[in-house]
Amino acid sequence: MIPFNFIRPASLAEALDFLAENGERTEIIAGGTDLLVELRGIPAGKKGPKWVVDISGLPELKGIREEGEEIIVGSGSTHWEVHTSELIRETAPLLAAASATVGAAQHRNIATIGGNIMNASPAADTVPALIALEASAVLRSREGERVRPLSGIFVKPYQTDAAPGEILTAVRFRRLPAEAKSAFVKLGRRNALAISRMNAAVVLFLRDGVISEARIAPGSATPMPERFAAAEKILIGQKPSEELFRAAGAAVAAEMVDRSGRRWSTPYKEPVIAALTARALREALAG
Amino acid sequence: MIGLSPLRVDGREKVTGAARYGQDLKLAGMLYAKVKHAEYPHAEILKIDTARAKKIKGVAAVLTAADVPGNTAFGAVIVDNQPLAEDRVRYLGDAVAVVAAETAEIAEKAAAAIKVKYRELPAVFDPREALEPGAPEIHEGGNQINHHKTRKGDVAEGFRQADLVIERSYSTQRVDHTYIETEVVVASLDHDGTLTVEGSHQNIFSIRAAVASFLGLPLSRVRIVQAALGGSFGGKDDCMSVLSCRAGLLALKTGRPVMLSNSRESSLIESYKRHPYFLDYKVGVKRDGTLTAMEIKVVADGGAYASMTPFVTWRSVVHATGPYRVPNVKTDIYGAYTNNTYTGAFRGFGSPQITFAYESLMDEIAGELKLEPLEFRMNNILRDGEITATGQKLDHTVSVGQALQAATSAAGWEEKRRRFSEENRTRLLKRGIGLACSYRGVALGAEGVDATGAIVRIQSDGSIDLTTGLVEMGQGLKTVFSQIAAHELGVPVERVQYRRTDTSTIVDGGPTVASRSTIMGGAAVRKAAIAAREKLCAAAAGELGADPAELTAVGEKIMVASDPDRAIDFTGAVALALAAGMNLSSFAWHVSPPIWWDEEAGKGNAYFTYVYACQVAEIEVDPETGKINVLEVWAAHDVGKAINPEAVRGQICGGVATAIGYGTLEEVELVEGVTKTVNLDEYLIPTAMDVGKIHSIILENPDKYGPYGAKCIAEPTAELCAPAIANAVAHAAGKRIRDLPLNLERIVLGHKLVKKQRRAR
Ligand SMILES: Cc1cc2nc3c(=O)[nH]c(=O)nc-3n(C[C@H](O)[C@H](O)[C@H](O)COP(=O)(O)OP(=O)(O)OC[C@H]3O[C@@H](n4cnc5c(N)ncnc54)[C@H](O)[C@@H]3O)c2cc1C
Repeated sequence: MIPFNFIRPASLAEALDFLAENGERTEIIAGGTDLLVELRGIPAGKKGPKWVVDISGLPELKGIREEGEEIIVGSGSTHWEVHTSELIRETAPLLAAASATVGAAQHRNIATIGGNIMNASPAADTVPALIALEASAVLRSREGERVRPLSGIFVKPYQTDAAPGEILTAVRFRRLPAEAKSAFVKLGRRNALAISRMNAAVVLFLRDGVISEARIAPGSATPMPERFAAAEKILIGQKPSEELFRAAGAAVAAEMVDRSGRRWSTPYKEPVIAALTARALREALAG
Repeated sequence: MIGLSPLRVDGREKVTGAARYGQDLKLAGMLYAKVKHAEYPHAEILKIDTARAKKIKGVAAVLTAADVPGNTAFGAVIVDNQPLAEDRVRYLGDAVAVVAAETAEIAEKAAAAIKVKYRELPAVFDPREALEPGAPEIHEGGNQINHHKTRKGDVAEGFRQADLVIERSYSTQRVDHTYIETEVVVASLDHDGTLTVEGSHQNIFSIRAAVASFLGLPLSRVRIVQAALGGSFGGKDDCMSVLSCRAGLLALKTGRPVMLSNSRESSLIESYKRHPYFLDYKVGVKRDGTLTAMEIKVVADGGAYASMTPFVTWRSVVHATGPYRVPNVKTDIYGAYTNNTYTGAFRGFGSPQITFAYESLMDEIAGELKLEPLEFRMNNILRDGEITATGQKLDHTVSVGQALQAATSAAGWEEKRRRFSEENRTRLLKRGIGLACSYRGVALGAEGVDATGAIVRIQSDGSIDLTTGLVEMGQGLKTVFSQIAAHELGVPVERVQYRRTDTSTIVDGGPTVASRSTIMGGAAVRKAAIAAREKLCAAAAGELGADPAELTAVGEKIMVASDPDRAIDFTGAVALALAAGMNLSSFAWHVSPPIWWDEEAGKGNAYFTYVYACQVAEIEVDPETGKINVLEVWAAHDVGKAINPEAVRGQICGGVATAIGYGTLEEVELVEGVTKTVNLDEYLIPTAMDVGKIHSIILENPDKYGPYGAKCIAEPTAELCAPAIANAVAHAAGKRIRDLPLNLERIVLGHKLVKKQRRAR
């Protein structure tokens, strides 16, 4: 592995100061489960980061709490902390479900939700769940804080619009009301330690037996995770039914092909994302 | 002691981390080596420029084929594998140069600084194309590595008698052994000029032969020592010879110890794999389900070097029909060179491929005839005294029927076949249950001479040293051999110390392969221990006032068998023997019973005995996503006699897990010779969450040739689950997949997804 300098700031302010000066040649490390794989892949002799800043010990990034109607998840929360949090299980069960599927127990004990987001993989498991929760990203630099809809920070696969001096400090979203229906379903090649071949997160609101609001966020379907409005529209104003869910699934598949084009993997992904979406809707409804 | 399961004798050191593996070896002044790999799958080497690499500070040596003092190539069957490519590279795992330096980082930098000029040659990646006239020639004399055949009866006549002739083609993929520990050696020179190579070796004697020939040293000056081994599964043979030759050469030239190890990436690119097979089966069958003829053609992808291809494919040709009564058989199997990663030994050794084909096919035929797969098999399986496809009369208990019955009744077969079919009509996730059975020749068979030795040395304090040339690789050999010695000497296992395997401590007793260790090595250990016991009995006879033949060794005593009160303790007997000037070291040699093979006629008594097995897999498959969940596996194996039942169960669980990976997940993907799956993020093996519940069913029909009646267990466990899963998927979802692995895409689309590739380089 290429050599680098390892910095472990004592506070968020210290970390931000360091990044403000050296951000361009620095990588942030939280759990390191993505970053170390990436650094190991840099061939000997090629340039890597000069510094690696370890934010995993920063207390400011820890903790899951509520503020009024909002849930705030510190970016340094591990997947284990997320999926075992009573608060998350109650207010965002689909996020708990997504975190529970990341890697194996060893990863979940160390890997963070912030790393999952900022790595910006199209297959990241918590991101579709967070997008379906309409979460916002809280980004801090020495100059200050900006809060952006999470779905807006992804520029392309493995790249966000965060500036070199910025740290994601938290994600926040409105708690799902008790009557909201939601689900996260994941398809991996294995039952553990599997990157999503595809996944889907959905949230449904029903009023008088009719769907009043729908959010569908498939993962590994598009270069950047996002909501699929056309499919959501099909659901709104309708009574849930198997046919309806199948229609929504088909719409997701069509929208995926529209956005990503026909690729070598499309013959597989097209029917499968339709099936997964329908399944997620079914599971959400069943509660 | 025989039939009990004492704790593994090497368990403690392994779970406490005390076991010393190759990577743990650190010798004073040790250098680190790195290899410069080929840059084309097939190219002529025009010039290797090592000048820049040699100038880097900390580099001790940069060597190429020009520096090899002995033969540049080795090979157990065909001498064609060059640890340092001389004038041509034949796959991307070939090395053109090897570097030793003070640190691994410097060595890597130096390897990168080596510049090689090539002339690219036309390459061939499909073994069927490689055998066509005009294909680019990979080795002089053409691309056919070998052609084996079996002939029995007259297939034309057999097909005439058939009511139905069914033709099917199957294919299997290239898979990696995926041992946890990648390959590693440390080579060092002794002051007396002996070269020692310690490392993750499976077959110390074949590795020694390769190193001695490569370095031009006599065998007596090369010593191969096995470090604790982190898994092998047939995989640490030729590739370990390659590493040992390279490191040995560097040690010889620098006079310093050299460590050479493969990263996971190098291991996946460089080490040999299991052969991909292309199998065409044509079967004649009567309406009542009687088989009349089988005509089989198989092409195996041998990759760049022959390695074990001639033997692997020979095992396939012997077993290609499966354990069935087929009056007319014509089988032809070809091994072909390609510019892919070479292929060789892998647990199963030519059987997982053919078992997948013939057991899928048996279900297909049953389906065509509207017969139940179990019933159809029961009507056609070999029985006691019947004749195999190679013309061999089976003179032991032929237990394939017993295995079929045992596995299916434990699984609740009939009821589940019916119930799942019904329930699946209304279920989204489909359940299925499938089976596969096999027979398997034990030990090397007519591949070559099969003999091995053991030394039992009783020390003056009554402790016992046990040495053989066979190795522990996780299978439990040390424990089973220690049990046998302890049993015959009437002492607890703790008294026996199994020595590390080392070519300088015992004569060449062949490789630890072919599931031969218990039946061959166990028999040698038993003989040596009995010989040692007889000496103790002779020494004690006077004291006990009995004839030595009346004495026995039990409970740490030498006693009169008919009168246990007349006894002296074991150490007492040892003292008496030593005082009498007796030699308490005994060496025994065990040779396999006679077998024969007529390669021209394609007939013979291929193996001296066979084992029989059946596995049943219950699965759930999601037809919409292609995801298979293996829920439960019932594995019934006739082992002759389970010397250590817990070790047998361990072998069954491991073999089943391997086969589940083979069946559903694993594939080393090569595109035009380039390995696409270079680490375990892409090369996926099953986790504990993917193997379901495994039920081991041990059957015991003692064999006259095995110690205590024991036969074998290691490899048959790995040859059955892939076809059992394929048959279960067909039952569950009505989808017959004829190509491995049954991954998500194959289940949904019926075929593999292929990424469009631009031509490599
Ligand atoms: C074997 C294995 C299995 C895996 N399985 C899964 C899986 O099933 N599902 C899944 O979604 N992922 C999986 N991953 C990927 C990875 O574990 C997750 O993405 C994880 O959440 C990353 O978190 P981390 O804390 O380890 O991130 P790190 O590796 O520390 O960081 C990842 C990236 O984000 C940046 N970063 C981290 N924190 C911040 C922050 N607060 N502000 C700004 N930038 C930041 C880093 O600079 C880096 O670029 C797997 C990885 C491995 C190695």
